[in-house]
Amino acid sequence: MSDFLFNHLLDDAHQCPIIVNGVACQVPEQLNVAAALLYLGHLANRQHPVSGELRGSYCHAGFCFECLVAIDGQANQRACLTQITPNMSINTALAGVN
Amino acid sequence: MAQIYDYLVIGAGPAGMAAAIETSNAGLSVLVLDQASSAGGQIYRNLGHADKQQTSVLGSNYGAGKPLLECFMAANCDYQSSVQVWHIETHTKGFLVAAIVAGETKSFLTSHLLLAHGAMERPMAITGWHKPGVLTAGAGQILLKSSALMPKEVVLVGSGPLLLLLAQQYRVAGVAIKAILDTTPKSNYWYAIPWLVAGLTNPMELFKGLWLTLVQRIKIPYISGVSHLEVMGDEQVSGVKYTVSDRVYNIDCKLVMLHQGIIAQTQMAQMLRCAMVWNERQQCWQTKADVMGYTSIPGVQVAGDGGSIGGALLAQIEGRVAGMGRVFNTPVVSPWHKKWVYSWLRFRVKQLRWARGLVDRLYRPAEWLSKPADQTIVCRCEQVNAKTIRSIVNSGCAGVNQLKRFTRAGMGACQGRQCGLNLSHLVAQTQQRPMAEVEPLSVRPPLSPINLGQLAKSLRL
Repeated sequence: MSDFLFNHLLDDAHQCPIIVNGVACQVPEQLNVAAALLYLGHLANRQHPVSGELRGSYCHAGFCFECLVAIDGQANQRACLTQITPNMSINTALAGVN
Repeated sequence: MAQIYDYLVIGAGPAGMAAAIETSNAGLSVLVLDQASSAGGQIYRNLGHADKQQTSVLGSNYGAGKPLLECFMAANCDYQSSVQVWHIETHTKGFLVAAIVAGETKSFLTSHLLLAHGAMERPMAITGWHKPGVLTAGAGQILLKSSALMPKEVVLVGSGPLLLLLAQQYRVAGVAIKAILDTTPKSNYWYAIPWLVAGLTNPMELFKGLWLTLVQRIKIPYISGVSHLEVMGDEQVSGVKYTVSDRVYNIDCKLVMLHQGIIAQTQMAQMLRCAMVWNERQQCWQTKADVMGYTSIPGVQVAGDGGSIGGALLAQIEGRVAGMGRVFNTPVVSPWHKKWVYSWLRFRVKQLRWARGLVDRLYRPAEWLSKPADQTIVCRCEQVNAKTIRSIVNSGCAGVNQLKRFTRAGMGACQGRQCGLNLSHLVAQTQQRPMAEVEPLSVRPPLSPINLGQLAKSLRL
């Protein structure tokens, strides 16, 4: 699950500390939450409530609601519409996976 | 009592910005509400803050938005970013727009409304499109524009100008594009020939488009005439299976980006009960409107790709026309030459829409893509496959809205944005009716999620 499939275009980007599933990470500060998860290698961010299949962000434009994660304790937030802030706590909803 | 605006514009893309500039310069009180954190819409997303390196990768059409953006930022209008509009209704004073701004509910009143919220990508329901690792080409471009993020290696699948533009941008940025799997039916090229005349009225765009197509075909492994696509993999993507001339091929990859054109968004207009029409040329539902953008509901206009798909230049002109139309509706005295400009711009709208016919015909989605295989998930949110939908329709279901109640397809979090069009297609095919006869999914509030606390507060204006 932790293949790094994405690169950041700018080498000298300022880093921002965030916490993903309890793990402290550094990501470029201009990312939104969905982009930060992709950057860190999390293609999947939740399980489908009916089938339990893994799902990941899809449209990145606020339409598809696939990128729902818990942000600072608030569940079901659209990651693609939320800008990261220092020390933001993000929890993917992957119970029993990883 | 809350302020009543003369003009409320939803969306700060080319259309919304142009309309806001036009109306606020004439002295109207204007409010612009936008979902994104900075103005520009999808085409000029993040342009105000983009790094030099990003701008050079994204190309000249991206940088071309600078003057409009600067003019908008200097305009004397109220502008709120990061706004989620969740409800619109008619009101004794005109229209009430309810939105969530920074976690708080806010309501705005306006006498006239412009819907300039833009378009969305046409959902491409192929088997496995719900697996992690499948994104849209639009998503790829958004990641590049707002986050300067790009994949290391990717397979691009589908058809349409955006796919080729993304390929160009990725190539410049140094992304390894394993292949472009082009689903454009070969017959489209023949059908598009008569439309060349229309395309020639906009020669610069035609030339740019041809150049873009040729360069990608030469520089990237380009596979055309692709059909029967399937995304492979268990928990996440491991490859794509496709067919060319009855031979099946496999390509290994972990990231796939899909695209088959864009379609107008109609949710807000539907909520206001504006009349809808099926656009056969663009293969999507759109809000019925005249050249000035006036819909069937007095006081409501649409402009830009949210009305009908035409691209950034047309959107900007449509926005200006809509704004001018609004100004002529007030006692404000306009300079004498404005009427001439207005006539000229309305002519340009008609001309550019005609020219767009070439792109519409050339990249008309392949018919097999509107006929998903039985095991394909059509409604991602509620995990409903094409087989279930077909069997319910066959057992006598009246239309998409009844289908929704029987199967839950279209009832999930995305509210039918990702499945609505395909549900209509499946109903039309199974019942052998033309699309224009099958109604679109109905829309109900809230347009975006809202919690009970926010809802309770919103009752007080």
